Amino acid sequence: MTEAPAVENPLLEGLGQRRTPEPCVLVVFGASGDLTHRKIIPALYALALRKLLPEKFAIVGAARSEWTDDEFRDQMEHAVREFGRDDFKQDVWDWLAQATRYISLDFADETKENDLAGLLNEIDEERGTRGNRVYYLAVPPQAMPTIVREVGERRKSEGWVRLIVEKPFGHDLASARELTALLSEHFTEEEVFRIDHYLGKETVQNMLALRFANGIFEPIWNRQFVDHIQITVAETLGVEGRAAYYEHSGAIRDIFQNHALQLVALTAMEPPIDFTAESVRNEKVKVLKAIRTPAPEHVVRGQYGPGYIEGKEVPLYREEEGVDPASMTETFVAAKLLVDNWRWADTPIYLRIGKRLARRETTIGIQFKRAPHPPFEDATTEELQPNMLLVHVQPDEGVSLAIGAKVPGQGMRIRTVHMDFLYGGAFRTELPEAYERLLLDAMLGDQTLFTRSDEVEEQWALVDAIVSGWARDRPAFPNYAAGTWGPAGSDELTRRDGRAWLRH
Amino acid sequence: MAATLSTAVHTVEWSGEDVEVGDVVRALCQLREESAHEAEGPNLRTSVMTHLAWVPSEWEEAAVGTLAGLGERHPSRGILLFPEPDGDDGIDAKVSMLAFPLREQRRHIAAEVVELRLRGQTSRAAPSIVNPLLVPGLPVFLRWRGRPPFGDHEGDQLIDVCDRLIYDSNEWPDVPQVYAELPFDRAACSDIAWRRTEPWRGVLARLWPDVGEARSLRVRGPLAETSLLVGWLRSRLEREVELEHDDADELTEIDVDGHACAAPREHPSSSDLLSAELDQFGRDSVYEAAARRAVG
Repeated sequence: MTEAPAVENPLLEGLGQRRTPEPCVLVVFGASGDLTHRKIIPALYALALRKLLPEKFAIVGAARSEWTDDEFRDQMEHAVREFGRDDFKQDVWDWLAQATRYISLDFADETKENDLAGLLNEIDEERGTRGNRVYYLAVPPQAMPTIVREVGERRKSEGWVRLIVEKPFGHDLASARELTALLSEHFTEEEVFRIDHYLGKETVQNMLALRFANGIFEPIWNRQFVDHIQITVAETLGVEGRAAYYEHSGAIRDIFQNHALQLVALTAMEPPIDFTAESVRNEKVKVLKAIRTPAPEHVVRGQYGPGYIEGKEVPLYREEEGVDPASMTETFVAAKLLVDNWRWADTPIYLRIGKRLARRETTIGIQFKRAPHPPFEDATTEELQPNMLLVHVQPDEGVSLAIGAKVPGQGMRIRTVHMDFLYGGAFRTELPEAYERLLLDAMLGDQTLFTRSDEVEEQWALVDAIVSGWARDRPAFPNYAAGTWGPAGSDELTRRDGRAWLRH
Repeated sequence: MAATLSTAVHTVEWSGEDVEVGDVVRALCQLREESAHEAEGPNLRTSVMTHLAWVPSEWEEAAVGTLAGLGERHPSRGILLFPEPDGDDGIDAKVSMLAFPLREQRRHIAAEVVELRLRGQTSRAAPSIVNPLLVPGLPVFLRWRGRPPFGDHEGDQLIDVCDRLIYDSNEWPDVPQVYAELPFDRAACSDIAWRRTEPWRGVLARLWPDVGEARSLRVRGPLAETSLLVGWLRSRLEREVELEHDDADELTEIDVDGHACAAPREHPSSSDLLSAELDQFGRDSVYEAAARRAVG
């Protein structure tokens, strides 16, 4: 006899679609680290404040430091007070603190791993977390294999497991494949959440809304109407204590491989058939596959020299603490990318990323072709620029559209004006931090904003191809002054094509 | 016309007695220019709606207080209508251009507040006064303080201007009977009392499937919310559910068939409740069914 199908709960219709995860324990490996203090714990506090965490929930911090539960809680309270975006509320913190435990753990010590498993079982009993686990690997790459193996070997038969992995996802294609192989020994792709916090930013997601929720943009979002695309990821900061990592990664592995190529993919991808993780990521992978390996003359790298940032003198890269005085690490990359598909053939995407640039900003500029035949005298339109749709990812999150407008007065003089949509202006709520959204999504099992293994591999394939070309030459570093927009070669990259970077 | 122009750090104002609607329109334009000079950098007007409020005198203080914060949360043109049907015919107006600084930025968000005292006959011709003041192309939300005169010609005309009518049936003396008169066919309706029941509805929904056989509900809380809750259960479960009601200022206890439910964690503030309603656009069929079944 077949069982009658379960009747859907009629009381759920019309109730707010608040997404609350199932009961679970979040285990943070690397709990004494900077990321945990600055991002993870403040994000959890913000979720707790908004009652977005499950009622049956626990946090376990795991790190080498010899702390007690209370000492860890004190550290985390300090982190929330210092880095949280909300006012500190004692009752919210008390709720989170009573759900927080700590275990001192040497990642290579099997006995300690058993202790962790015992603690998690104890929490399941006490708090009803049902064996559900989210493991956050906020640890250096070298610590990852041991943790992945130990956690994988101790997974319980009941409950689900999700593994959040922080970048870098390898340092080249081969190592990325090794990491994928390691993860897939113990976890399915559906259980692995590779975090790129850029994808958690509201304005990055708004790119999808802008493109696919507005009928006016998609018909002109192609080679027929778009002259070129400019993407800028500019920082004013230097290496800020990350020299050991940065010396090995450089700008191309630190930003280009992940954040910048994610922006390219979101800007150039085809419309997904729905907003599920697989559909969105399938389209992103297609674009990444279609990016032609840029010719050597289409890539410019740079390293900053001394200069001024916001009026303050800053040293050259080679004099930063921990940096090799003869370092050849690039702090700037500009590239002209071509996407070989029907939508974008021959439409360049100019991309520039770098440290110690003139201003901190991340923007995506869609420059449209000029009006074919403006019926005005040339002199009246000399200040008129082609239409540009500029997406401000950060700061000043929003979108502006440059249009030509008549200057008031006699005659017909036309100049460019900007229509601004300021994200915070139309929606007067604080934008959530990227980590809040991503942590919640991981607990909910939603992978849409996480990077899939084949995406990572496509990104590395492109980076490897670029880097292999660099082995053949040795540029004269430093080649740009801190506080400028990069080396002269970057301007030449666009000038050769009769174009120019935005100067705002 | 007697008009004055005054400016503050982030506010510029204009007011006048016995004014024409055209004077108000001109003042809006003029103040927008004024405010651009006052603030550092241009003011942005990223309106998302026109927010009308019908505020009889007994609700004036509460309404102005609530609306003061909403301009910032929902950038809009707010039009407050204060009917004074017993006065001499005429309109007194005050127009304020509020500039809310944007965090970490030099620019400001502009919100416009128009306060109109509709004296005498003008209070019965409100639609003709507000129509020229609506922001073109944006939805109109009408917040009605107190009990709207459903079926009354002037009241219905004003409801016809709006896309969404927002009220709090807790402010009405004749619930649940009046739920039968709600103008669902004229405008999408939002009831803040209904929104207040949402956390409790979540609690009851989590009792599924057992709650599907519920026969009785005992509620300690205001009559409006109690009536809507039982109406909701009746309509969603398509069965009769008996109601036992203990009056209280807010929802504090619910028993289903004699079993007490755990209280929800959420306690949204009144401005959160109104703000949530301003984020709604379409008709709420679940609410409409609940209101119909609340009557009995």
